[in-house]
Amino acid sequence: MPEKAGASEWYRLDNAGVLYSALQKETYSAIYRFSAVMDQPVDRQALQRAVDQTMPRFPTFRVRIKKGAFWYYFEPNDAPGPFVKEDISNPCQPVRFREDNGWLVRFYYYEHRVSVEVFHAVSDGGGALVFFKTLLAVYLRELGHKIGNTHGILDIGEPPRREELEDAYGKYAQGKGWRWKEREKAYQNTGTPEPFYTLNVTMGFCSVSQLKQKAKGYGVSITEYLAAVLIQVILEKQHRERPRKERPVALAIPINLRAWFPSETLRNFILAVRPVIDPSLGEYTFEEVLSQVHHTMRLKINRQRMRAELTGNVRFTKNRLLQIVPIVLKNPVMSLGYRIAGVRPYSGTYTNPGAFSVPPEMEPHIRRMEVILGQATNPRVHCASISYGDLMEITFAGTQRESDTERDFFRFLVREGIHVKVESNRAE
Amino acid sequence: MSYCVHCGVELDATATFCPLCHTPVADPNQPPDLRAPKPFPTQRGEVAPVSKQELALLVTAMLACVALCCGLLNVFLKPERGWSLYVIGAAAMLWLWLVPPLLARGMHLLLRLLVDVAAVALYVYLISLDLNGKAWFWGLAAPIIFWGGAILLLLGLVLRVYRRSIITSLTILIGSLGVFLFGVEYLIDLWLCGRWDPSWSLVVLTICLGLVIPLVIVRRIPSLREEARRRFHI
Repeated sequence: MPEKAGASEWYRLDNAGVLYSALQKETYSAIYRFSAVMDQPVDRQALQRAVDQTMPRFPTFRVRIKKGAFWYYFEPNDAPGPFVKEDISNPCQPVRFREDNGWLVRFYYYEHRVSVEVFHAVSDGGGALVFFKTLLAVYLRELGHKIGNTHGILDIGEPPRREELEDAYGKYAQGKGWRWKEREKAYQNTGTPEPFYTLNVTMGFCSVSQLKQKAKGYGVSITEYLAAVLIQVILEKQHRERPRKERPVALAIPINLRAWFPSETLRNFILAVRPVIDPSLGEYTFEEVLSQVHHTMRLKINRQRMRAELTGNVRFTKNRLLQIVPIVLKNPVMSLGYRIAGVRPYSGTYTNPGAFSVPPEMEPHIRRMEVILGQATNPRVHCASISYGDLMEITFAGTQRESDTERDFFRFLVREGIHVKVESNRAE
Repeated sequence: MSYCVHCGVELDATATFCPLCHTPVADPNQPPDLRAPKPFPTQRGEVAPVSKQELALLVTAMLACVALCCGLLNVFLKPERGWSLYVIGAAAMLWLWLVPPLLARGMHLLLRLLVDVAAVALYVYLISLDLNGKAWFWGLAAPIIFWGGAILLLLGLVLRVYRRSIITSLTILIGSLGVFLFGVEYLIDLWLCGRWDPSWSLVVLTICLGLVIPLVIVRRIPSLREEARRRFHI
């Protein structure tokens, strides 16, 4: 077993981790899931062996979360497991810090599908995909295939590198930080809540080339196009409900900062941008919505702004007054803060981790990739997408009974001439 | 492959309805494949309720410690009087109120009420021990506690186990308050003078009756009931 760098002691949570751990409760899940549908039914034993081999290479995933007097912290988890489990119909269940041996990652299999669920305080989608890709490579090696360590697959024989464990927020927080400013309340897009621990998942599959062609026709990227479609259908939905006052429709779109700041961290390193359309100013055509989203994303996503924003966030947790508040008091305060700053100004989340690329020798073994976001704090849907080869997978997941948002979204794509196939875990 | 006739999206071969608009799949040439595995698992992951044992243990430890410390102090401070019984009794009562519901999830309401009433009786009994009040305890306090407890149990049964409308609940609450106080005076009279001489409780009972009558009328006449619901809906 290689020597584990820095894995022997506790470490602080990063900024996003502080937030997600403070928020965690029975009715909110900061858990997200990546799945790969393989060409063969999953071999449970081989997958378990792959998990056992891969976990030591990723010390930031091999942790448990502990409650200090003032902050949570991570410490290495040497408990048995994590064990591969048979999949369930209600994925992304909220994590309980003291159960399941304290594991903050879970592994599931169902027919051809391998799934990994990760608690957001541990890592963001970018880090989790590196982990998942490596796991899939190890799994395929266990099945007797020869897979090289290319395309972002980490060598499990190597010790973990220091750069993978760093708190990238802390590293890049310097200069002037932005103070938090209040944002207008957005249309909440909520529906009837389902009974406890139900998550309705609807996935749509379409062709990347068709989407790309369509987006190119409008002069935007696929992410911008899909975000604009989502805003458009939520705008229309709000309009149909005939509210007394139409509220802005805004999305939270997480941006992977690794593309902007050189970092190889496997922990959190994201920030969200907020494209917003205010229908009280007048009616927007789809082209106008698209143009707004496109330009907002181009205007807001630059290194200087993002650095100022993350510096502001880091300064917040360095605030002496906040630091000395005991954790039992801090959690409700953070939870309220999240409600005001992270839930109220948004109508939903849309995240696109982008294309999942694997070495050519792995390609024939993976049919498609899937992603699911866990339940929001209120009954509304979160949207996420991931592409693999020519297949774009778009997931709507939430605890609301109604399926209007996803229905309108996929109908919109169909009307735009894009072929969509839909699958769901809804039972009625 | 089937398509939803409303949404125009392709559906999975195993789908019996469109997940977007819930329109059933009715393709005579290609009925849904019910034997192939569904795209998602159908087995729900059940979640064990959060264990409250630790909290129960903490409450137990704190109450036991308080009781023990006061008991010890009693040995040195005014040992001629069993003043610590008050604290020990209060601790025992609090324990009975708090801990059994934490340990036994889904404890029946009636059982819980029974335990709570018994806890009150126990506490008052301990007080009577210190005051040498065996006579008043058995003659007055115990009957009142059991009378109140019986009414509380009945209320729990009537209001919580079988759900009632707000007006009915209010009627029953006011009515049972009157009946309880009526019983209290009966018991006091019996203990003090040995015979029943109803006075103030009759006034209370009449007031309760006066309050109840309009409520009963509103409850019985559909148009009035609807009006009340319209004016006072939340």
